Amino acid sequence: MTDLRRPRRGTLNSIWQNWRLYVMLLLPVAFYIIFCYKPMLGVGIAFTKYNPVKGMWASKWVGLDNFKFVMKMPDFPVALGNTLLLNFMGLIAGFPVPIILAILLNELRSTRVKKLSQTLLYLPHFLSWVIIGGMVLQIFAPTTGVVNATLLKWGWIDENIPFLTEGWPWRITYTLVGVWQSMGWGTILYLSAITGINMELFEAAKIDGANKLQQIWHVTLPGIRSTIVVLLILNVGQMMNISFDRPYIMGNTRVQNYCDVLSTFVYRAGITNAKFDRATAIGLFQSVVGLIMVGTANFVTKRLGEDGIW
Amino acid sequence: MKKTLSLIMALVMLLSMASIPAFAEEEGWITLRVEAYDRSIAGFNVEDCWQLKYAQENFGNPNKIKLQFVPVPRWTEGDVLTTQLGGGTAPDICMTYNGSLVNEYITYEGLWQLDDLLDQYGSNIKAFLGEDLLKFGQQDNDGDGEKEQWFLPARRLNVANVGNFIRKDWLEKLEMEEPTDIESFTAYLRAAKEANLGGERTIPMQFDLYESDPLYNVVRFMDAFIDFSQVTEEDWFAYAGLHEMLPGSKEGYRWLNTLFHEGLLYENFDINDDTATDSALLNGYFGFFSMQPDQPWRTDKNYQKEMEAAVEGAWWTSVNPFKNESLGKTLHDVYAANGLSIILPKPEGAKEEVAIAAIKYIDWMCQPENMFAMQNGVEGINYLAKTEDGIPCQVQSADNVPDENKMHAGDICFISNGLYYGSDEKNSAALALAFDEKYAEEVTASYVDAYIDAWTQVSFSIPIQASTDYGAMVKSKQGEFLSKVVTCAPEEFDATYDAAIQATMNTGASEIIEEQLAAYKAGEFRGTFPGAAQ
Repeated sequence: MTDLRRPRRGTLNSIWQNWRLYVMLLLPVAFYIIFCYKPMLGVGIAFTKYNPVKGMWASKWVGLDNFKFVMKMPDFPVALGNTLLLNFMGLIAGFPVPIILAILLNELRSTRVKKLSQTLLYLPHFLSWVIIGGMVLQIFAPTTGVVNATLLKWGWIDENIPFLTEGWPWRITYTLVGVWQSMGWGTILYLSAITGINMELFEAAKIDGANKLQQIWHVTLPGIRSTIVVLLILNVGQMMNISFDRPYIMGNTRVQNYCDVLSTFVYRAGITNAKFDRATAIGLFQSVVGLIMVGTANFVTKRLGEDGIW
Repeated sequence: MKKTLSLIMALVMLLSMASIPAFAEEEGWITLRVEAYDRSIAGFNVEDCWQLKYAQENFGNPNKIKLQFVPVPRWTEGDVLTTQLGGGTAPDICMTYNGSLVNEYITYEGLWQLDDLLDQYGSNIKAFLGEDLLKFGQQDNDGDGEKEQWFLPARRLNVANVGNFIRKDWLEKLEMEEPTDIESFTAYLRAAKEANLGGERTIPMQFDLYESDPLYNVVRFMDAFIDFSQVTEEDWFAYAGLHEMLPGSKEGYRWLNTLFHEGLLYENFDINDDTATDSALLNGYFGFFSMQPDQPWRTDKNYQKEMEAAVEGAWWTSVNPFKNESLGKTLHDVYAANGLSIILPKPEGAKEEVAIAAIKYIDWMCQPENMFAMQNGVEGINYLAKTEDGIPCQVQSADNVPDENKMHAGDICFISNGLYYGSDEKNSAALALAFDEKYAEEVTASYVDAYIDAWTQVSFSIPIQASTDYGAMVKSKQGEFLSKVVTCAPEEFDATYDAAIQATMNTGASEIIEEQLAAYKAGEFRGTFPGAAQ
């Protein structure tokens, strides 16, 4: 990459020459400033007794009171534990799948079949969780769900399989549905990384007598290793973050102890009664832990001799 | 090509800049945005409905006020309002059942104080609601010992709340009498299951777990188990909303647990969404359900009619089996006289003229002739005739009314919960007339049942801060409680029950009880104690 670097005094000159590119850059930069950096000032809400009518600056400063209040609630450790566990399960089950899938797709000879299967795999990504939640209920509900109803009728099982009604089975259902939903979409980055691998390497491997599996192992995988590492670090950084809709919709009261995560907890403890200060406190806590995790993951990968993300 | 494209772009930009202010600020006109619940009734467009046009024509145009209805989904109204208030984008008139949220915004000073506005522009509102009812909306926020008016409580004309329904056709098939106590009721459930009267998917007893208030649907059965010889008036008020902790309730939940394991309950009561319940109801799988007293026969959604179409001879009738043995009464809770809380949000930079317009609009709505039109619609379309007393009859169900005339009396004419005809007698006479003639008798009977041994729901006239802080957490624990004690193995029932109660306590219920007790002792309570000696 060093060849792209210009002498320092040329920077202005280069901006001048490429002004169109910089104008195009303005939009995303503005996006990040307006929607990502400016709202960050709002974390101050976490330290006030926030009055949404008067605004943050007019609200009373209370230090760490909101954090203490929220963390003392008995549901908080449960939600925290569930968040970490569900995300961890998602990572273990969900991370390798797109890689495998991308490699398989890449090996498909017929472009038609490849295009078709790609499209079909992407589809679930565009379904809202509300719809997926409805489908999951239709398929996995006790007695009336397709799976249980069929198996009961055939006499293969005497009792319902508790897909949605017991702790561990629910966790597994939750994880696998998540894998199904996101695996197709996840292949995109890997597929483009595979396309970037020099074809000569494959030819050389073939000439050396490598079969398909050996080619995958010795050429494809090393070729996309840096992509894998970057995505892994980013995923680890997301360990504390969990979307609201997925656990909220897939969960139910019977498994409340297993499906209650930080986002649903925030919703109850903060948002329902306009306690925005408490909601912000939890959000800030999540971000800080997330940052620490990304930092750690990055540090470890660098130590292992890979390029980190910074 | 490029030129045309840029021309179009320029035009679009010009138009979008020009159109907004031109629309909003015609000389001297004010736009008044009014929240309107949207129940997704097919063909009924809240934003452009007959009631809006009527109000615009008769109130808006003469007063130079442009009315706008802002649709909010009925079942998520509280959340939507929370977001809107937090972002300062709430409509100028809002309404909600979430009392804690209103309390929060009173303390935030985010609402218009209404005393002066009502004095100047609200004479009809005052007349319609009356002194006593207005008190529900009063609170001392500035600490001077005097309560100020912060919101308008809607007037609830009919306070009946509980409707219990049983399948008359099943009783006939089983050759059973209407059950009058828990024992005969249980016998009915067992017999119905045994005979599989609703087909393979028979569910003798249905109840729902509503996330926003998990015990709402079962507490009415469970109150039959409370041992009132051990409950004082003090307990009753302190434990308002937490009846599962009162002596005797445990046996009630044990009863539900037994029913569940016998397969007599709706197995997925805590898993499924309402649509599954609805379709099971319409297909006639249920032998019993419990909701509002008029629920099966409402004109906007007539469960009875649809069920009849699916299952020949299927018939709902009101039943009264939940007899409390310690009192010898079948208790029914009734609402207090207040309905929705109606607020005028006051975000940064709010203009007083809009608040005045809001009060004027509600005042207009409170005038009898306007309320009549807003609640009943047009003769010959929404109803076909009038009785001697001027009460509309032959009321048409929603599917018989053309889309442009579809309406929702309660949601749009929000100041009155129930149809108002000027006097209590007329109002109750009108009750049955608002339904399909075929079912009028059933509806009347159901309302009679709903008032038997009635007690008025408990509320407090000062805000309970612990409810705001912990209410949502406690509700969620109550949901878990219900789910656990009903589905757990019978031999684990006692331990499960105790643990679940303890969990509710730890989540904030104990703080709520403490504060409610203090409010009771300070005399700041409303509602009645059914165990009081008579």
